Amino acid sequence: MSRLSNAIGTTRPRRVAVAIAGWIVAVAFMLPLAWMLFGSFRTETDLFTSQYPLTPWILLPRTFTLSNYTDLLGGGFSLSVWNSIFVTAITVVVGVVVNAMAAFAFTLSRGRGATLLFGFVVLCFLIPFDALAVPLADLFKDWNLWNSYAGLILPGIANGFVIFALRQFFLGIPGELSEAARIDGLSSWGIFWRIYLPLSKPALIAAGFTLFLFQWGAYLWPLLIGTAPDKMLGPIALATLSSQTQVHWGEIFAGAVLLTIVPMVLLLFFQRHFTGSLSTSGSKG
Amino acid sequence: MRVLPSIQAVGDSFFRKPITATSEHFVGLQNYVTLFTDPRFIGVLGVTGLFLVIIIPVQVVAAVGLGLLLNEAFPGASGARVFVYLPVAAPGAVAAIIWGIAFQQQGPFNAVLGALHLPQQPFLSSPDQALLCIVVLMSWIGVGYWTLFVIAGLQDVPVQQYEAATLDGAGWWRTLFSVTLPNLRRPLVFVIVANTVANVLAFVPISILTRGGPAGSTRLIMYDIYDRTFTLGNPNLGLAEVVVLLIFLIAVTSLQFRLLGREDS
Repeated sequence: MSRLSNAIGTTRPRRVAVAIAGWIVAVAFMLPLAWMLFGSFRTETDLFTSQYPLTPWILLPRTFTLSNYTDLLGGGFSLSVWNSIFVTAITVVVGVVVNAMAAFAFTLSRGRGATLLFGFVVLCFLIPFDALAVPLADLFKDWNLWNSYAGLILPGIANGFVIFALRQFFLGIPGELSEAARIDGLSSWGIFWRIYLPLSKPALIAAGFTLFLFQWGAYLWPLLIGTAPDKMLGPIALATLSSQTQVHWGEIFAGAVLLTIVPMVLLLFFQRHFTGSLSTSGSKG
Repeated sequence: MRVLPSIQAVGDSFFRKPITATSEHFVGLQNYVTLFTDPRFIGVLGVTGLFLVIIIPVQVVAAVGLGLLLNEAFPGASGARVFVYLPVAAPGAVAAIIWGIAFQQQGPFNAVLGALHLPQQPFLSSPDQALLCIVVLMSWIGVGYWTLFVIAGLQDVPVQQYEAATLDGAGWWRTLFSVTLPNLRRPLVFVIVANTVANVLAFVPISILTRGGPAGSTRLIMYDIYDRTFTLGNPNLGLAEVVVLLIFLIAVTSLQFRLLGREDS
């Protein structure tokens, strides 16, 4: 097969070069993660003596220990991980249902008012959440939501991007289906629950994953809404750990691994759904 | 409606701006005058502008380059693609802390420099290098994400156009500029705008690693808003700053609609 003019790998040496370049880039992106993972199993002395000056052991451990993890989870950090899991789980479950309901409402009602309202919702969410986080935190203080799970969870639930993406997906479901269901006596709620949701699994997974990444990685909002020790989330706890006077690198690496492993495994697992939803949203603007 | 909090916040930032923290009385545009005559705020605008001017081209060019490379067929190409976008999943705080350790005086970067007999670098503790370090760390997180959009765009380019270019004897560069990039316009506009929006909101690495320093060299606008409102206890000036930021964001986003809208008609 002859190669088209847009291909770089036209000859054999070029193809080898492309493969090598591609893998160098891939490894370069992975290196910090690998360093973090290996570092989390090393003793403090091993970490310090092998990082500087340069030794062959800079990446690979000479020792293997789980003590970083046991020390870390024996301290206050485990509570913050549980808080993160709790807050994120509620956000994803409630968020998928709420956003899907909003998207469904915008799919069914096609009146002028609904179109205007939908445009309004999308416009509001074009302003990124973080830009409004500071004034919103003030409001939450007035509402006595500081240092509460509700305060941490609420802003992560409704997501304009997710509503928009789900609506696009719902619009692709043939209207005849819901008309037929309605003639058979199904209510709007029934149509949503029995027809739209089961047909939209891939879109719902992508929506849930988007909400998950947003909430799990959030830093500014949990920092603003209060950092009482019993409501502290993982990323904040990790930052607190690294700002202490006595810094334990090994434990910080272990904490970083704990906070990264969950989204990473999920990303690998749901990769296709996630990238699929991203690519369509990108090319359609 | 769930939109309510954000609308209220917008409204709040508009209506509270003329209120001083202690007694609520109208001061008109006083806050804005204070803000724009404050050399520190001018410095913040300068640093934020410089940061954007560096990071946007770096990330967009890197995303296009990586997109072109990873769109090629080579053994393990799909695995390489996964490796490049995997950092997207790491929470921002994790990325900031890991890179913060790597940039340390006795960290791995200086170890490598030392082994190559190159002078040691101060990285985050130097006013000349700290901002660039932030650019590197933010690009590590973000570039894989933007690359996905480029790859998706590349796969939407009609093959016939490439066949025609090949028949016309166009080389790789010619094809890139005459066929590939024009076809990538839509995703690229999206990537540039989304990238601008994402980077103007950069906060986590500043908050964790540099706190605006050294010598104000990494005092980006989001950190300044946070610092002014909560640490310095000046919420009215902080809210005026939020409004400045919002105006910038709205301008950038409406530019996107302009560019994409024109193409549609």
